[in-house]
Amino acid sequence: MRPSTQPVLNSKIYDVDDFAAAQELFHSNGWTDGLPVVPPTEIAVEACLDWALMPPDQLIGIEPVRAQPITAEKLAVNAVMAGCLPMHFPIVATAWQAMMKEEFLLHGVTSSTGGCAILLIINGPIRLEIGANATFNALGNSDRATSVIGRAIRLALINLMDVRPGGIDRTTLGHPGKFSYCLAEDEEGTDWQPLSAMRGIPEGVSAVTVMAALAPRQIMNEWTTDPKEILETFAAEMRANQRHYSIYGGNYAIVIPKQLRDIIRSAGWTKRDIAEFIYERARVRRGEWAEVGKGAIVRDRPDKIHTALESPDHLLVVAAGGPAGGFGAVIPPWMGSKTKAVTAAIGACVDCEPPKG
Amino acid sequence: MIVRVLDPTHELKAAGVQPAERPSSLEGKTVGFISNGKEGTKGYFTELERILRKDLGVAEVVWRTKSNYSAPADAHIVDEARRWHAVVTGVGD
Repeated sequence: MRPSTQPVLNSKIYDVDDFAAAQELFHSNGWTDGLPVVPPTEIAVEACLDWALMPPDQLIGIEPVRAQPITAEKLAVNAVMAGCLPMHFPIVATAWQAMMKEEFLLHGVTSSTGGCAILLIINGPIRLEIGANATFNALGNSDRATSVIGRAIRLALINLMDVRPGGIDRTTLGHPGKFSYCLAEDEEGTDWQPLSAMRGIPEGVSAVTVMAALAPRQIMNEWTTDPKEILETFAAEMRANQRHYSIYGGNYAIVIPKQLRDIIRSAGWTKRDIAEFIYERARVRRGEWAEVGKGAIVRDRPDKIHTALESPDHLLVVAAGGPAGGFGAVIPPWMGSKTKAVTAAIGACVDCEPPKG
Repeated sequence: MIVRVLDPTHELKAAGVQPAERPSSLEGKTVGFISNGKEGTKGYFTELERILRKDLGVAEVVWRTKSNYSAPADAHIVDEARRWHAVVTGVGD
């Protein structure tokens, strides 16, 4: 192995004997998430930068608490390691820009004992270009694109922000989404407004939403055609999270697959109607804490009402999931409203063509 | 076949922030505690104040609590900290 300096890119270079030696180099230095990585070669990193029309030293942003600059080159190195193709890189870069907005509170999100991961939700035509699958197994290993994009977020946190378990990352438990947590919305499978449009991005523009998120809590209700009954099951799961995890309101996401979605939308319900219903139903009395072993912190306010959402706008309603099954998912926030979900349009130059050849 | 790979880390090009100068002694000095507001900090800082005053001769201990335990200290606390000789902060669960 021989460190040296490369003329175009600025990263230190290591020459290793073969693929296996590259794995050992990265694992022994704590540069991975425990899984094998794609060796980040100069050609692969330059391809990502070329696709996104970014010079290596382009500043993606500066993390606000630790004043850590994030450059396009370093982000691309980590994206390649995660398995990203060049076409995936603009999503990774935009997600990082969103994560570094002050309201996202990246330092708290990544260092807390609370153990959240960063969930990415992709909207717009870029989903189709990268082959993201928003249907079967949407919250699992649904497709290549969302798997590697989500992983790139985590690898960059490890290597660019030192978010390693026991280091900056003080998480007590964590969850599997800390390997990769990314899904696309099934815009073709619904006439509901895309999440990004609900959050102010013009329809037809690709966008990514980032949210500090706990693990999905799956619900099931296939025994009714009443939208209120279906959504009551989602609200009940949110109330359970308020009682068992954190009572405080924040951005929740609910993922509604096609079977339940078709029932709700055929009754004329929009995403806004859903959010308003959930806002009213997902709330608990502080005194309920006493029923789940937390009586010590009810204090003199047992009748105080805590809403899971500060307002209906704080619910992220996502159409995704396979065509059959009366299932859905509630994705709770990390610690209430301390962090806010952020949505950003992908690519400042939405009409630019990637370079040929 | 040799594989040429790039370093994925920030390569220590971070540091927009430099650590403050360390005092050689705490005798007669003012020390600030910045609590994250969690329950566990109370016992910890109470005992630490006792040790600082009794064993190290600290003259004054100032207690402050962040308004958000997951975010950096509030600006008014940071401003006030400029008048202290040392600050103790950190995780308290």
